[in-house]
Amino acid sequence: MIYAEHLRKEFKKTIKEPGLKGSFKALFRPKKEIVVAAEDISFHVPKGEILGFIGPNGAGKSTVIKMLTGILTPTSGECRINGHIPQNDRKKYVREIGVVFGQRTQLWWDLPLQETYLVLKEIYEVEEESFKKRMAFLNEVLELDSFIKSPVRTLSLGQRMRADIAASMLHSPKVLFLDEPTIGLDVVVKDKIRQAIMKINKEEQTTVILTTHDISDIELLCDRIVMIDKGKNVYDGSLQKLRENYGQIRELHFETDPESPLTEEQFRQGLPLKESELTIEQDKQTFKVRFNSAAIPVGDMLSHTLSVTRVKDITVRDADVEEIIRRLYQEGGQADE
Amino acid sequence: MNKLKKRYVPFMKAGVQALVVYRMNFLGFVIGGLIYCFVMFYLWRAVFESNGGGLFMGFSMTDMVVFLFLSNTTNQLTFSSVCDNIGEEIRDGSISMRLIKPVNTDLSYLFSELGTALMKMVVLLLPMLLGLEIYRFCVTGTVMFNGVQFLLYLFSCVLAYVISFRVNLCFGFMAFYVKNLWGISILKNSVFNFLSGSLIPLAFMPEGLRLCLEYMPFASMSYTPVMIYMGKYSAEETALRIGIQVVWALLLYGLSKLVWFRAVKKLCVQGG
Repeated sequence: MIYAEHLRKEFKKTIKEPGLKGSFKALFRPKKEIVVAAEDISFHVPKGEILGFIGPNGAGKSTVIKMLTGILTPTSGECRINGHIPQNDRKKYVREIGVVFGQRTQLWWDLPLQETYLVLKEIYEVEEESFKKRMAFLNEVLELDSFIKSPVRTLSLGQRMRADIAASMLHSPKVLFLDEPTIGLDVVVKDKIRQAIMKINKEEQTTVILTTHDISDIELLCDRIVMIDKGKNVYDGSLQKLRENYGQIRELHFETDPESPLTEEQFRQGLPLKESELTIEQDKQTFKVRFNSAAIPVGDMLSHTLSVTRVKDITVRDADVEEIIRRLYQEGGQADE
Repeated sequence: MNKLKKRYVPFMKAGVQALVVYRMNFLGFVIGGLIYCFVMFYLWRAVFESNGGGLFMGFSMTDMVVFLFLSNTTNQLTFSSVCDNIGEEIRDGSISMRLIKPVNTDLSYLFSELGTALMKMVVLLLPMLLGLEIYRFCVTGTVMFNGVQFLLYLFSCVLAYVISFRVNLCFGFMAFYVKNLWGISILKNSVFNFLSGSLIPLAFMPEGLRLCLEYMPFASMSYTPVMIYMGKYSAEETALRIGIQVVWALLLYGLSKLVWFRAVKKLCVQGG
């Protein structure tokens, strides 16, 4: 469905030396520098999959999305989506895709929201019947009704984002590109947007590529993740596999009874773990223990804890993806040096 | 054709609606233009009076008044802000949103502007022509309005608009290379104003320069229709002028397409 092969994008950038002198110099003899936004990115996405496309800021995610949507022309490499090369037959190609850039809007700024949808209906040649059905569906999931008559410029960020998501889905695209669709939104709105993505994926087998910094987006939506850093692929596979590969880290949080104080050393005693397999953060009575569950089963860890102290409260959780990703980033960074 | 209409007319509607939303802006534009006309009127009246009245380079004072007001109105009518729009969209990166729509980029710009142009025709051009005809009637005592000239004027205006749009489109696409068009746009507007003869009639210019400018696309952007309306051209000359307009419209259409195909490969979206 989506093939990206060794995508590379370079930009020319004028660099200015600091200060007024630098400005003058740049005015008369600009120094050009080539910036590589994406160095070598490859991945495939089968039909109907939701792919989480993640990486730190400046990794080149947006650049890759822009190449895939036909906005930018790759310096080298090739992408093919649904048999189209986006740059070659742009008009035909964009008919089949829906795009949301979280930081921009495709809505008509001065028109009431409803008008934008009517315009999109004409542009994408959506039949009256399916348009009505579609609007009803989008209304239901995204709750557009309350602001559909307001001009777009008066909408709040959450409303605008919901409206933008709806606009990208209106013409039943085969592929959806969502570049940070949940940026800056509250939990309720995020949830609505996720619902919409999930439903449309399930009902129409829409392929989705999603970039986000929100880990719960990935956990809830994505079948697979591709991680890039500094313009290169770092990881490609399922979230679960990532978890397995990068340690079955669990986090144990507990609060001790003030009557039975506990120190780090006391806790560490008697545990068959190496220094690196166990990290403890202590804040007065609260402990945050991170350990590798491959080295010591969670049950053993719990009984150990209960044996050394009296706890008021205790919870065990999976290490969140953020933690894993942080580790992966760090490793990637080290490998680079 | 029907498809085309359906797909692009929304852009036109959006253009009109935006104009209505920002009507104070539009009103300011119109009033500013009128004030400018009156300033030019007093300036030229001084020129004519110091010349002892009567004809000046084939223009009577009445002609001059018609020229000033009509030329300004025609200028506003055929003015295309597509250059600034593209410049702005490239500067802030929102051109991406246009590229992800299954529409012709230049047609979508054209139609969003056509809405404005139609509005201008109704609220600006028609009252202006009416006013000018009343003025001419009061001064000369005869009805000077000529239906054929009026229709030719409108036709020539359409060509003028196409040329102006295409030229501005080409300039707009320069933003793909230079990133910020503001300076270029100011330079372009002042040079165009002079070269197109809307500031000073080309007829007042030295013979060589005048001939040269008359064949350039600039004169086609407002001077030609105004001269046609004023009946300054003979039948053969009118045909020649309109022919020149058609040639330029076609050439610039091709050029703008060519520039677009090259420029879009160079696009680098700033931010986001």
